[in-house]
Amino acid sequence: MFFQKKRCIAMLLAGGQGSRLKVLTENTAKPAVPFGGKYRIIDFPLSNCVNSGIDTVGILTQYQPLELNEYIGNGQPWGLNKTHSCAQVLPPYERHDKKSGWYKGTANAIYQNIAFIERYDPEYVVILSGDHIYKMDYAAMVDYHEKHNASCTLAVRSVPLKEASRFGTLNTNPDGSIYEFEEKPKVPKSTNASMGIYVFNWPVLREALIADEDDEASSNDFGKNIIPNLLSQGHKMMAYNFDGYWKDVGTIDSLWEANMELLGKNPAFDIRGDEHSKIYARNSALPSSYIDEAAKTVGCFIAEGSEIYGTVRNSIISTGCSVGKDALVENSVVMPGVVIESGAIVRHAILGENSRICRNAVVGGAYSSKDKMTISVTSKGAVLEENAVLQPGEML
Amino acid sequence: MNVTGIVFANDASLGSLTNSRTMASLPYGGRYRLIDFHLSNMVAAGVRHVGIVSRHNYQSLINHIGSGEEWGLELEEGGLEFLTPYALSATDIYRGKLDALSNVAEFFRNIPDDGYVIMADSSVLCNIDFTDLLESHIASGKDITVVTKDGIADGKKVLDLALKLDKKGEIVDIAVDYVADASYQASMDIFVLGVSFLRNKIREFIARNLFHMDRDLVLGLWQKGQLSINVYPFRGVALYNDTVEEYFHNSLALIDKEVRDDLFDHNHSVFTRVRDRVPSYYGENCQVDNSIVADGCILEGEVKNSVLFRDVQIREGAEVENCVIMNDSVVGEGAQLRYVILDKDVTVRAGAQLIGSAKNPIILTRGESV
Repeated sequence: MFFQKKRCIAMLLAGGQGSRLKVLTENTAKPAVPFGGKYRIIDFPLSNCVNSGIDTVGILTQYQPLELNEYIGNGQPWGLNKTHSCAQVLPPYERHDKKSGWYKGTANAIYQNIAFIERYDPEYVVILSGDHIYKMDYAAMVDYHEKHNASCTLAVRSVPLKEASRFGTLNTNPDGSIYEFEEKPKVPKSTNASMGIYVFNWPVLREALIADEDDEASSNDFGKNIIPNLLSQGHKMMAYNFDGYWKDVGTIDSLWEANMELLGKNPAFDIRGDEHSKIYARNSALPSSYIDEAAKTVGCFIAEGSEIYGTVRNSIISTGCSVGKDALVENSVVMPGVVIESGAIVRHAILGENSRICRNAVVGGAYSSKDKMTISVTSKGAVLEENAVLQPGEML
Repeated sequence: MNVTGIVFANDASLGSLTNSRTMASLPYGGRYRLIDFHLSNMVAAGVRHVGIVSRHNYQSLINHIGSGEEWGLELEEGGLEFLTPYALSATDIYRGKLDALSNVAEFFRNIPDDGYVIMADSSVLCNIDFTDLLESHIASGKDITVVTKDGIADGKKVLDLALKLDKKGEIVDIAVDYVADASYQASMDIFVLGVSFLRNKIREFIARNLFHMDRDLVLGLWQKGQLSINVYPFRGVALYNDTVEEYFHNSLALIDKEVRDDLFDHNHSVFTRVRDRVPSYYGENCQVDNSIVADGCILEGEVKNSVLFRDVQIREGAEVENCVIMNDSVVGEGAQLRYVILDKDVTVRAGAQLIGSAKNPIILTRGESV
């Protein structure tokens, strides 16, 4: 088989469980978690790739991949199903040597798929993760990388000092080259955080992956091993500053917040954008939404295929939902296919896909602006019985 | 069993709405084109070879259909074929379906003799089970099956083809281009025929300069006792779009839950071209009642009894009532619209007033600015 040589391909790490999303990722991988009414988290890096002219994407899956695999399919929604483009799902597999098995870490996942990358003989490989909501032109980052003749370039943003220890932090020289990198430092020396987006010269990465695999003490992780090792070997590593919207949606609170940040006349994150920054998603064949006479819909996103008879305020209603008469949905994220029956009240909640809130049931609580809110969550397909109550912060 | 579908794109006209598009590509229901319904009906019944007959104005239709991917019809074998007039008949005047079909002989040549053809017009909207229709046709052993609908004939509407049945279900009269009374059933312009029968009839009729499906084939042969007809009465919702008034009425009919549930039966999706728009945003001061809203809209004003297509913007203070507003149109601050159809990309300036009526909705054509 013949594979066209590519200047640049992307590898998307989508195998993580996302355990901090609790019931939402019990049966599905984090990148497949619904977002923004009609998207899933993975739509953001995938669409960014397409909008950046990267047409070959390897997607590394491991944890609960069924839904994710199904969602990606042949890559058609992102235009990645053409003759010289692909969205290739890469699960762990068995090999003739002993170097196979589950992906032991992010670096090992790429190591096990060296053969996939080699087929395209790329100059650059972009490493991405399926954990963040953002729009970014990777092509500009690759150009920056090339211009500076770097071995590796890390996308970097400034974060509050108290959060810096959750990230890899780094310090740079005035020319943007990195002289110090620490993965999740207890006492951070910098507020420059690595976003987990890397551009590598493929020969450099290839060699580093092979060396890392031979190192039994390594945890086979980009942040812990590959990046620090390359730096200590004297490779030229550049920081690429990105100050656009970027949100980690790894926790219930941050997932809720990121959804809320889509709302408003001038939203923190404008998902709409122009033709060059469009986010693509696999669409379900659903009709337009219906908004009833008795409905009140204010300050909300409503995706297609929904039927609204009740009140929806400051919320995201995803595809194929229904909100019954006299029901109230406030400050909530309602994922696809949810049914909220008449008289039910839903506040400060994330309702998982296809869950059902029966008549007059109550989810979550009301808060004054000073209160610390806790988000109530229903898992996929959960049913909250008639008149039942799901307390603030409770999960079903 | 080999089943081939043929959809007529209907170069019929709804005034300025079809000036630069076929009936088949007329927008409907916020995110559809009329042809989506019959294409989806066919796909749902396992039909994997569909020809779309269109004579002119088909650019918008081709843009919409593309390779047929959205309907699962981008196939190596069969799939979707555009049957446009590569070799026009002697005159450029539309002379009827038989003429149109004789012009696409190549398409017919590749269909097995023992197969069946389902023919449908784009202008009648319905969600119909073509599997059941085919079974009925085959079980009947008749030459042709005509799908009919009760309650359309009202003594006012001109029907392409009307059939009157007696109590035993025998056909007692057939009329063409006729203002029939309520005792008649209206044809839904959906027919099932055997391939070899249809092929032979096309050849015979064209040789005799007869081109019209309803008049020459159905009525003509039946009168001579040379055609056995299976009547298939359709029980679901059938929306005829022969006039602007009907199209306008049918557009707003989607507000009725029964109509919606019938046309968009959950077991049988209606597919259309996907545009990847964001969900619609309902602003802080908007008031939306009794309306159908597609994706990508930004709603800040009042909307009542209306259908909004993708990426429509209703600005603050605007009042929109009983309107059909197509893709990318913008209604400015404080504008008032009643009984108006805005085609795509129309801009209504702030404060403008447009008041039509249910019988004569005001139509603004594509790209207009008022």
